[in-house]
Amino acid sequence: MAGRGPQVPMMQPQVIVLKEGTDTSQGVPQLLSNISACLAVCDTIRTTLGPRGMDKLIVDGQGRVTISNDGATIMKLLDVVQPAARTLVDIARAQDAEVGDGTTSVVLLAGELLKEVREFVEEGVSSQAIIRGVRRAAELAIARIGELAVTVDRADAAEARALLEKCAATSMSSKLIGSQKEFFTRMAVDAVLRLDQEQLDEGMIGIKKVPGGAMQDSLLVDGVAFKKSFSNAGFEQQPKSFDAPRIACLNVELELKAEKDNAEVRVDRVADYQAIVDAEWRIIFDKLDAILATGANVVLSRLPIGDLATQYFADRNVFCAGRVQKDDLDRVCEATGCRVQSTTTDLTAAHLGTCERFEERQIGGQRFNLFRGCPEAKTCTIVLRGGAEQFIDEVERSLHDSIMVVRRAVKSHSVVAGGGAIEMELSRYLRDAARRIEGKQQLIIAAVAKALEVVPRQLCENAGFDTTDFITQLRARHAQDPDRFRWYGVDIEEEAVTDLFAKFVWEPALVKINAIASAAEAACLVLSVDETVSSQKSQDPMPAGRPMPGR
Amino acid sequence: MSAIYTTDEYGRPFIIVREQDKKSRKTGIEATKAHIMAAKTVSNIVRTSLGPRGLDKILISPDGDITISNDGATIMSQMAIENQIGKLLVELSKSQDEEIGDGTTGIVVLAGALLEQAEELLDRGIHPIRISDGFERACKIAVAHLDKVSDVIPWSKDDTSDLFKCAKTSLGSKIVNKCHDQFAQMAVDAILAVADLERKDVDFELIKMEGKVGGEMADSALVKGVIIDKDFSHPQMPKDIKDAKIAILTCPFEPPKPKTKPKLEITTVKEFEELQKYERDTFENMIKQVKDCGANVVACQWGFDDEANSLLLQHKLPAIRWVGGPEIELLAIATNGRIVPRFEDLSAEKLGAAGTIREVTFGTTNETMIVVEDCANSKAVTVFVRGGNKMIVDEAKRSLHDAMCVVRNLIVDNRVVYGGAAAEISCSIAVDKEADQVSTIEQYAMRSFARALDAIPMTLAENSGLPPIETLSFVKSEQIKQGITSLGVDCMDTGINNMKEQFVFDPLISKRQQYLLATQLVKMILKIDDVIVHKSDDQ
Repeated sequence: MAGRGPQVPMMQPQVIVLKEGTDTSQGVPQLLSNISACLAVCDTIRTTLGPRGMDKLIVDGQGRVTISNDGATIMKLLDVVQPAARTLVDIARAQDAEVGDGTTSVVLLAGELLKEVREFVEEGVSSQAIIRGVRRAAELAIARIGELAVTVDRADAAEARALLEKCAATSMSSKLIGSQKEFFTRMAVDAVLRLDQEQLDEGMIGIKKVPGGAMQDSLLVDGVAFKKSFSNAGFEQQPKSFDAPRIACLNVELELKAEKDNAEVRVDRVADYQAIVDAEWRIIFDKLDAILATGANVVLSRLPIGDLATQYFADRNVFCAGRVQKDDLDRVCEATGCRVQSTTTDLTAAHLGTCERFEERQIGGQRFNLFRGCPEAKTCTIVLRGGAEQFIDEVERSLHDSIMVVRRAVKSHSVVAGGGAIEMELSRYLRDAARRIEGKQQLIIAAVAKALEVVPRQLCENAGFDTTDFITQLRARHAQDPDRFRWYGVDIEEEAVTDLFAKFVWEPALVKINAIASAAEAACLVLSVDETVSSQKSQDPMPAGRPMPGR
Repeated sequence: MSAIYTTDEYGRPFIIVREQDKKSRKTGIEATKAHIMAAKTVSNIVRTSLGPRGLDKILISPDGDITISNDGATIMSQMAIENQIGKLLVELSKSQDEEIGDGTTGIVVLAGALLEQAEELLDRGIHPIRISDGFERACKIAVAHLDKVSDVIPWSKDDTSDLFKCAKTSLGSKIVNKCHDQFAQMAVDAILAVADLERKDVDFELIKMEGKVGGEMADSALVKGVIIDKDFSHPQMPKDIKDAKIAILTCPFEPPKPKTKPKLEITTVKEFEELQKYERDTFENMIKQVKDCGANVVACQWGFDDEANSLLLQHKLPAIRWVGGPEIELLAIATNGRIVPRFEDLSAEKLGAAGTIREVTFGTTNETMIVVEDCANSKAVTVFVRGGNKMIVDEAKRSLHDAMCVVRNLIVDNRVVYGGAAAEISCSIAVDKEADQVSTIEQYAMRSFARALDAIPMTLAENSGLPPIETLSFVKSEQIKQGITSLGVDCMDTGINNMKEQFVFDPLISKRQQYLLATQLVKMILKIDDVIVHKSDDQ
């Protein structure tokens, strides 16, 4: 389309408003086409929902392979360009960042909302009216979750822990590690509880991946673990284990080298030559002596430690490791209470940290440095094992999701039942509420109520159950006695409709609240767009040397 | 293709995913089946390498390098597999290699067999996740059963006969079984020399492998010391030194250079002479320092020029130059010496001690090596492998590495199960029995798991030229009848089926790892129902 001008009489020249090549489309067709695009994206991740959900294998342009069940990861890798469909990618990502779990359901829910209101759009209902309805429904639903959510007593430590474990288990059940749920939930909960309960900085949970071994061989280190870095000759002569080591963390390069890169020394007499050499040696030895003087016996540095220093330390029964990654070093500091020093002058024993035990150990095919039993242990490290790299990556993502859920659950202690139970209950509630509302809103809210059923429906479908049968059963149960059958949902294990709250399929209420809010937002956003103006991708600027046209 | 390429109500196509025409996609059962196909193909390739009568593969790399190997992990990594699922299998055998070091073929065969069984179940319409759930349950039973049938083998520093037998089992399928006993003994001795028995830790960096083409495989030996692939810096230096005191230096034999760029301008003849004198003095001073501390051999990480060389000869100091970093380190560990960075720091206690240092010449070639033996500290050892050609030497090194891993694993955990697929058959029986008590669909998957375990003895029998089905059913019935779980496939045709009597052992952790890893990988493959591949431009 060559630009768009206002409709003008024949004789007048066309007024060009937009740049040539700009693509525009507008009105209801545009809206409908946006909705179709969103639905198409939804279809891709539909099958990943629930304990019987499947994984996706995605190979990107560089040939990297990702196998994942995580909604946000898949959406990101799909590389969606359709602008409306991109909002779905964004809400998945937002959900991931905000609560870390429920990324698949949020996309699914948004898609289903759009699908349900589509017919209203086709019938010509103003999109503004629809948006109002959807928002209202979302508000009602969220308020209802607040009423329904069960708060677990914080005071009882055992109970609080059980809550965390259950939430983590629900999040894990759809993942590859689902069958090792018990093992990994314990690990996730232990890891989070070890953190500073005020800040809950998940950056303090280090995750290290070591290929080889079964996933059951994964372990949680109550301290810091990192891979042995590159070492110089002499390293093997250093002692490899200490009880109560004194740890120095440095940001100093311990190598014999030119102090300034482009410096030049002019020597007048031959005898001075030796003096310069000696001076250079003295610089490094001064540094080494200063470190030793503090009584440190484990020296870590972010910068390289040269062979000279390695041998110096080996000579004096000190362990050293150079080129330690920044985050590892930070966590060592956090765990042992030492401070990173950028210079060796003024280095005192006060800057050193300690822990119960330090050792170098073989984990799989790699040597690891382990710091265990740390006094200020506000940090921990999870060492993941698995048969293939993609496998460990997926385990890491799943574990990360659970850790995020646990983190959230530590803060808010209210939970709802998963497995489609809460969605079914909200659906019933909205349907009842809709009847009391006059006008078009009634229809829209009823449509939202129907859209919420997508979660249990998809769960059944993925598990290969008779979907209609299950959904009708659920609807009936929830309608018969909203109080008694409040937590009835799809029980995948039993292949039946049961009380999932009693079965401990728990999810933090926050996950659901966030999911419904973002899904509604995304749907409203898509609905409010009636025109896309995309300027043509700017081509390569004119190749140099080519004459400008017209002259 | 609907999800990627869509038309709206008005028939206008619109693009959702970037460069969608370059992406291929497979979904649902079709995807799963394609994966199973790929995995089966890969596992069929390594199948024939299993067991003592397994055959080797020859692999030619793009550069024309030839590798002959029987080791699953080596074959797999050299095959340059393109298929995604194939790559997963490669990683599987690699991680078995890294973790255990042995059983890399078995794990791939097992994974392939499991997937083959899964395909049948899929055809019957069973949900892939139900299948993998069943496999996992079966795997749990099998692993628990392994614990039950395992035996503890006693060993100590003095009695290594059982470790020796395990090493033999691992070496059985390899090319080196010509010198079976010798290699097994080498593996056991090497590991015991470096093992930290208290912490049950074995550092492989202390074992160095050297290979030299020529001679016979039987000439291979374990040197309690270090072999350096260098010669003495001057041909007239003595070739055999007794009671050596080694100065291990990491500085060159030349006037020290500051790292900051120096510049010396010489304007007069006198100054030039001074410089010359300074240089000579430094050399002499250095040699004096070495002599003073009592050293009679010098090992240097760097080189030195002819002048220094002849000075060394004059002062009767045999020297080795250009010794690499790792070798310097090993030398220091073996001789209990310290690595010295400056001549000023040399002192008597920093010297390393060795009983003999000699230069060895091989055959008619001019190749020489320096052997440092009878060292003060026996913690560092070198395995020296000889063989007719490069391929054999390399394969012998790999085989020896596998055998050493087996011994290492036994030091860490001294429980064993019986080889010759005795453990698999026994697990298969156990899983079958448990499966009958499961009331859900998983029962089928569990039975299939037992069938997949049977694939190992079948392959073993096939590779040994025995009738597979007959052998399997015979051994299985004997196991049940006699209640002895150590009955296996008699690959070597000795007439004895009891692996306990044949002394065919496998470490328990190796078997356990095989089952767990294979099951987990199969689960991962079965769980995939959608493959989106971004094709690169040239395809």
